[in-house]
Amino acid sequence: MDGSTEESQAWVLDENEALELLGYLITAARTQVDEAAEYGPLRLLTVAHRLADRIVPRASAGTARFVTGPLAQVPELAVPRDGRAEYVARLDELCRAVAGLLSDRWAAGPDGPR
Amino acid sequence: MGGGTGRAPVTGDDGEAVLAAIRTRRVVRSMRPEPVDRPVLEAVLDAARWAPTAGNRHLQRFVVTDDPGVLRVLRAVSPGMLQHPAAAIVVCTDRALAAGYGFPPGAPGLFVDVGTATATILLAAHALGIGAGPVTSFSHAAVSVVLGLPEGLEPELIVCLGHPAPGGPAPMRGGRRLSWRDLTTWVPPQD
Ligand SMILES: Cc1cc2nc3c(=O)[nH]c(=O)nc-3n(C[C@H](O)[C@H](O)[C@H](O)COP(=O)(O)O)c2cc1C
Repeated sequence: MDGSTEESQAWVLDENEALELLGYLITAARTQVDEAAEYGPLRLLTVAHRLADRIVPRASAGTARFVTGPLAQVPELAVPRDGRAEYVARLDELCRAVAGLLSDRWAAGPDGPR
Repeated sequence: MGGGTGRAPVTGDDGEAVLAAIRTRRVVRSMRPEPVDRPVLEAVLDAARWAPTAGNRHLQRFVVTDDPGVLRVLRAVSPGMLQHPAAAIVVCTDRALAAGYGFPPGAPGLFVDVGTATATILLAAHALGIGAGPVTSFSHAAVSVVLGLPEGLEPELIVCLGHPAPGGPAPMRGGRRLSWRDLTTWVPPQD
């Protein structure tokens, strides 16, 4: 039992949107071979923002809250050099938020399955 | 022998306007969807033609598109393209022509020429009220396919063009603001 509702199973990307992201991911793998290592997290954050923008109109309320809240607050062009400690702290915060979202959807909480 | 063509130097208010354009140009990463008029694109391309090139060889070629479908594919294979441009000028190097002149493939002049062309395009667009942003983070192989480039024509840099829109991603932070003094060393040293 995964606690999914009908809403949470909805398709959130159409094929064109998915292809755009696929193109980005494949070509970013190539460009990153020649680019500064610090661009790695920047590219991943950019594609996370793009994915978020695409899914938000069709996502469930919890997912929409996450992508318009914690994710939207992390700038997509920031690089670690701009202040490594703050950068890492922000990403850790984002990681906690995504873990919370996924746990709410899939994992049993202290009070049993959700 | 001066080598000049006798053109009048830029003076007075014109000179100030050029310097003001240099200082106020910023990369634009948020653009409105409406097209950039063809005469405006042509004026930008005409400016690019006047950029200095190594040995005055003009080994760069400009491949231009304002086709929404082509632009959509270009963006999908260009991770560094944050904006949705209304047009794009792809600065290419004619490697075959360069080899014919005896330039080895990694000759610095070829890349410097991409830079002079790009800087000129960015400034010309700014002077015409059009936003512009350079992109080098793209798959050269993929862009060659999208544009149907012939063998030997290498896409080096994409300049996105469009009417500037408010908003968009926050600009990349460059640390503290640099002055020309931070970037300059006099020889012999000045006090
Ligand atoms: C060679 C070169 C490559 C660049 N590549 C990209 C790119 O792929 N994506 C991007 O958004 N900006 C790119 N830029 C823009 C720079 O990030 C930008 O010029 C810099 O942050 C300073 O901003 P400003 O020109 O507005 O002062 C590039 C600039 C140059 C000169």
